[in-house]
Amino acid sequence: MALQNLWAALEASPLGDFVASSAWAFPAIESAHVIAIVTVVGTVGIMDLRLLGWAGKAWTVTEESDDTLKWTWGAFALATITGTLLFISKAHVYAREPWFLAKLVLFAAAAANMAVFHRQTWKRVSDWNAGFTPPRAAVIAGGLSLTIWILAIVCGRFIGFTLGQYE
Amino acid sequence: MWFIDLMLAFSRWLESTPLAGFSVWVAASPLSTAINQNSWATPTTESVHILAIAAAFGSAMMINLRILGLAGRRQTILQVEERFSPWISWSLLILVATGVIIVLAEPAREMLSGWFWTKMGLVAFVALANLGFQASVRRHAARWEPGRQSVALRAGAGALIALWCVIMIFGRLIAYTGVA
Repeated sequence: MALQNLWAALEASPLGDFVASSAWAFPAIESAHVIAIVTVVGTVGIMDLRLLGWAGKAWTVTEESDDTLKWTWGAFALATITGTLLFISKAHVYAREPWFLAKLVLFAAAAANMAVFHRQTWKRVSDWNAGFTPPRAAVIAGGLSLTIWILAIVCGRFIGFTLGQYE
Repeated sequence: MWFIDLMLAFSRWLESTPLAGFSVWVAASPLSTAINQNSWATPTTESVHILAIAAAFGSAMMINLRILGLAGRRQTILQVEERFSPWISWSLLILVATGVIIVLAEPAREMLSGWFWTKMGLVAFVALANLGFQASVRRHAARWEPGRQSVALRAGAGALIALWCVIMIFGRLIAYTGVA
């Protein structure tokens, strides 16, 4: 199968081999991954709670977004890079791991949620920027985002507990 | 690296203390076996632990970025502190509660790890620093505004974020105490 060959090639690549065989590479990259995902979820959560109207009464929505979004994206970039490095160390194992695959589905859902929110709801943000309770579409987007990211953390943690069981 | 060697020596010393016997006793206790009977219990508890770190770290970031003048500039330090400090306090409580369950589930893995005890020391320091910070901001808010703060305050804000990261790294490395 073509994908099997791809996973094998990734594992055999100098980088994949380095992460797999070095004593400190995996724990070091994993630590950076934890710091990155915690920053993503922490900052996303602050924005989501504002969209839900549950926290941050004194902040306008755009102010909240300015404070959090750049950190969310920076940390997400770091999480993607470190996550990819962890993946290529044992690609064929992760590729069969249901919790890992569920995490990818959740990322797709988060992207779709974000795209809809930014193309529609965010366009008229000036109308509801300072109001404490944002419109229903924003509340739904915030609730979905918070749920998706919480589930992504859970899936990520379960990967480490079931690894290799599905080989 | 000398620091990893130090942590390994710390772990080996812990194995020679009564903690070794105590961890065996805890592992045999009904509470520990009950947690381990359910294969979902530990990963679920650890997931809640990570989510609480996210809440605490995100909140600590917002407070310290405000001190450094990098976020929330339209709010006063007091407003930022009053919004985010309770999240840190409640998260710390959840972290301790879930942490206790994790230790009960795998006592030797935690109690005989140099990384674990060093992490506990750093957590105690961050918790105290957080309390001291709250008290100081509430009493002299103006002193914390950018432009009026001392270099030490700004350095402290940066150091506190770095310390949170060190705590997370140590937490992850507990899993590797026996390796390397």
